[in-house]
Amino acid sequence: MHIVVCAKQIPDPETPPAAFKIDAATNKVVPAQGIAPVLSQFDGIAAEAALRIKEAGGDGKVTVISMGGESAQAAIKQVLAMGADEGVLLNDPAFEDGDSHTTAKVLAAAIKELGDVDAVFCGRQAADWDMGQVGLLIAENLGWPVTIIAKGVALEGNALKVERVLADGFEKTEVNLPAVVTVSNEFGEPRYPKLPQIMAAAKKTVTKKTAADLGLDPSEVGKAGARLQLQKLFIPEKGAQVEFIEGETPQEQAANLVAKLKADKAI
Amino acid sequence: MAVSTNRVNQSTGAPRRLVGAWWGPAVGASAIGFYATATAPRDEAGREIFFNVPAGSWAVYVFLAALMGLLVWGFVRHASLWGIGRPTPGLLRDIPSRLRNTARLGLAQDKVRRDRYAGIMHWSIMSSIVVLTLVTAQVAVEADTPLHFLYGDYYLFFSFYGDLFGVIGLIGVGMALYRRYFADFHRIRWDERLEDHLIILGLGLVLLTGFITEAARIQVTELDQHPDWAVWSFGGYAIANFLDLFGFSESQVLTFHEWTWWFHVSAAFAWLGMIVFTRLDHLFFAPVNAFFLRTDAPGRLAKIEDIETQEVFGVGYIQDFTWKQLFELDACVRCGRCTDVCPANIAGQPLSPMHLIQDLKMHLADVGPAIQQHRHETGEAGREVSTVALTGDVIKDETLWACRTCGACMQECPVMIEHVPTIVDMRRFLVMNEARIPATAQGALENLEMRGHPWRGTALERTTWMEGFDDVPIFDGTQEYLYWVGCSGSLVERNLPITKAVFRLLRESGASFGVMGQEETCNGDPARRLGNEYLYQILAQQLVETFKAKNVQKVITNCPHCFNTFKNEYPQFDGYFEVLHHTEFLNDRLHDGSLKATHAINANVTYHDSCYLGRLNGVYDAPRQILEMVPGASLTEMQRNLSKGLCCGAGGGNMWQEEVGERRVNQVRSEEAIRTGADQLISNCPFCIQMFEDGVPGVQPEEEGRIRPFDIAELLEDAVFGPDKREEPVSAGEPSA
Repeated sequence: MHIVVCAKQIPDPETPPAAFKIDAATNKVVPAQGIAPVLSQFDGIAAEAALRIKEAGGDGKVTVISMGGESAQAAIKQVLAMGADEGVLLNDPAFEDGDSHTTAKVLAAAIKELGDVDAVFCGRQAADWDMGQVGLLIAENLGWPVTIIAKGVALEGNALKVERVLADGFEKTEVNLPAVVTVSNEFGEPRYPKLPQIMAAAKKTVTKKTAADLGLDPSEVGKAGARLQLQKLFIPEKGAQVEFIEGETPQEQAANLVAKLKADKAI
Repeated sequence: MAVSTNRVNQSTGAPRRLVGAWWGPAVGASAIGFYATATAPRDEAGREIFFNVPAGSWAVYVFLAALMGLLVWGFVRHASLWGIGRPTPGLLRDIPSRLRNTARLGLAQDKVRRDRYAGIMHWSIMSSIVVLTLVTAQVAVEADTPLHFLYGDYYLFFSFYGDLFGVIGLIGVGMALYRRYFADFHRIRWDERLEDHLIILGLGLVLLTGFITEAARIQVTELDQHPDWAVWSFGGYAIANFLDLFGFSESQVLTFHEWTWWFHVSAAFAWLGMIVFTRLDHLFFAPVNAFFLRTDAPGRLAKIEDIETQEVFGVGYIQDFTWKQLFELDACVRCGRCTDVCPANIAGQPLSPMHLIQDLKMHLADVGPAIQQHRHETGEAGREVSTVALTGDVIKDETLWACRTCGACMQECPVMIEHVPTIVDMRRFLVMNEARIPATAQGALENLEMRGHPWRGTALERTTWMEGFDDVPIFDGTQEYLYWVGCSGSLVERNLPITKAVFRLLRESGASFGVMGQEETCNGDPARRLGNEYLYQILAQQLVETFKAKNVQKVITNCPHCFNTFKNEYPQFDGYFEVLHHTEFLNDRLHDGSLKATHAINANVTYHDSCYLGRLNGVYDAPRQILEMVPGASLTEMQRNLSKGLCCGAGGGNMWQEEVGERRVNQVRSEEAIRTGADQLISNCPFCIQMFEDGVPGVQPEEEGRIRPFDIAELLEDAVFGPDKREEPVSAGEPSA
């Protein structure tokens, strides 16, 4: 059983609001000074799900793949420290500024290249853009079935039993391998790495791959291949206007409030 | 200002020294003896050794040989178990301090006396045993060596102090019997065993039969013949007079004497033999453990050297303790003092230091011999020998997590056991080796790794507190002091007023200082206390390098935990800095006049010693002197104060844990503060303040007008700048405006 975990490094969601800034000229988030990027929380949970299946089965392999800059090595090392076996960094300037489609294309190409993969586990969404598309699109690219927002995953024979989170409850599904699963926070917390594993992870080398290694044309990935065009990135202005409703008695205040709401066409 | 009197001590935090009072009886007795013998020489006085029991002359040597054999056998048996531990580094460093400890803590029993009743009781018993052993030894020398000295004046003096210490011993035994059987004294019943009864009843019997035997001899040989000699053995003399009333024949008395003599001697040797099998072994182990007691800072935890090459991290197997840690398990006398003062135990949480030590001791006895044999046969560590897990089976995880590392147990332990390092060693195993850690503490550790501070989810930045000040100097190596704000001082809403107060006071005092602002990172203390020594070392090394690069020489902290780490632990990473807590610095500045507290506060305050400033670093005076210099502030001490102070509950990483047990420690301590009737609860530590902000509302209804927790710097800020000049702190849990 070989499971690939897709891991993304994102700006720290706990960046204090005052330190979160956007460069209007480039439409990009300015990396906050002194605040290191982190592994997307949902991806850590996907890794936990994959590792539990590996441990339950006894023999198996977990490979963690990340597309990103050199700094994304830290995210890969973190999953290796949790117990993953190998790490692959997809690093090429051509991959930059893409969208969910190009990201999924690159990840799928890397998974195909690995060859013997039985399942792909992703977080339900990256905790920065929160689009929740890449997992689905990887499945599309690979031509595999996909089941999303899992709160429980177990291997049974040649299939995964997946318990999914719905708006109004849970759904139990079964999907034949190979398959893609996206894992939700309801699954549980990722483990705290043991020191011997942290040390072993520090010694492991992360394989690096470029577009050329994956047989991808630079025109079909990154900004060149993106279908989504970002118009404007901005921090919404928050404001609150308060108006006190006048009136001598509560009845009068209520009547004035109703009149006001009607005037504003709120009711 | 007024200081109420229920303080343990005026300055050092230690109970008052009563050495004079303790040795007074002995010195007094000697003086009387010398005076009496000098004024009334009686050269012919003396007695026949082994009178009436000629067989005794060889029998005692048989007993003695048996006892010695037993002691040696017992010692070897114990020592071979300690031997499975790791080497103990630095045990012979700083011999003079160690000898001082042995004298002060081992022989003079400073710690035993922290419980006054037990102190008198224990000194009486101990001195009696020591003196009577010397008395017996003198008899042996007189009988079996050419030396002849037990006659005349010295013999009479000898008789006198022998009886005196017999009586002192009986008083001690009486006090012990009262506590054990008549007083409802809690802590000695927590782990009461048969041996406890045997020891005290046995000793009473030995002493009593000693007097009776002496009385029988006196009745036959001195009462009529030499009453002026007999009176020196005043105990025996009194009983002899009593015996005399019955009119027994001389042969009856001699038979009686023979029987009691044999009984007394056998019982005495049997009692001494119990040393090998019971907690009486503390007789040897306690003074030796006093010698082994660390002579460096009690707030310092050991560094794991070459951490990257360790096979196992921390202690998860009994043989991974140092042999000193195993040795001190044997010193434990189950007195319960540690548990009695343990904040976790007081709050009904699952930790009793005494039971923890006893459980480790039992475990060592259970698995030690097998491990030793395995070692002997294979030369391997034998970690797989024990089928029960040290952490988890023998010592429960929640027990280890309940520890506040406050050091109260170590402060009270009369045999100088160091519980906290032992507990943290096992935590290290749980965290680093097993990754078994409470979820909230894990969150703090992950946050330390990812963000360099333990405050998960804070919306503040390290520079938020500076808003409103346009003149906060950034440390650049030219200023004298680095003001280290710390994570809690900058990232927790409640503590910002403290940081601002310290800043304003430093500025007012004219000190040359700067802050590090965004460049501060956690110094690692929470990681070390929670057991992640690896993370701690990374953080500590980084910060030591940063300090050196910035030419930091002197540091002022507003957090006792940062203070302890910089002062006591960074030298382990070659970081030597002069470290002051803000209370020390501000107190100095008040005394040299560069700060003036001129505005009256008119408040009843009580003062809480944080463990890391007070007990573990001995800073008790500076904050109290500041309080004395605040006009109008009146201090009422809490029942537990100074070195006997109770932890707020946050120490040892418990700031970031959910408490398990009947009560919360911060509520217990808040109640104690409320009982003083004070309206301000002054402390010196951002964690304590947070714990009280959280604890007080749970135990004091709002209508009563709640006691308000403040840092001493906030109080002083009022006194220096005027009360209306302070920004109102935001109470815990309340969102900031």
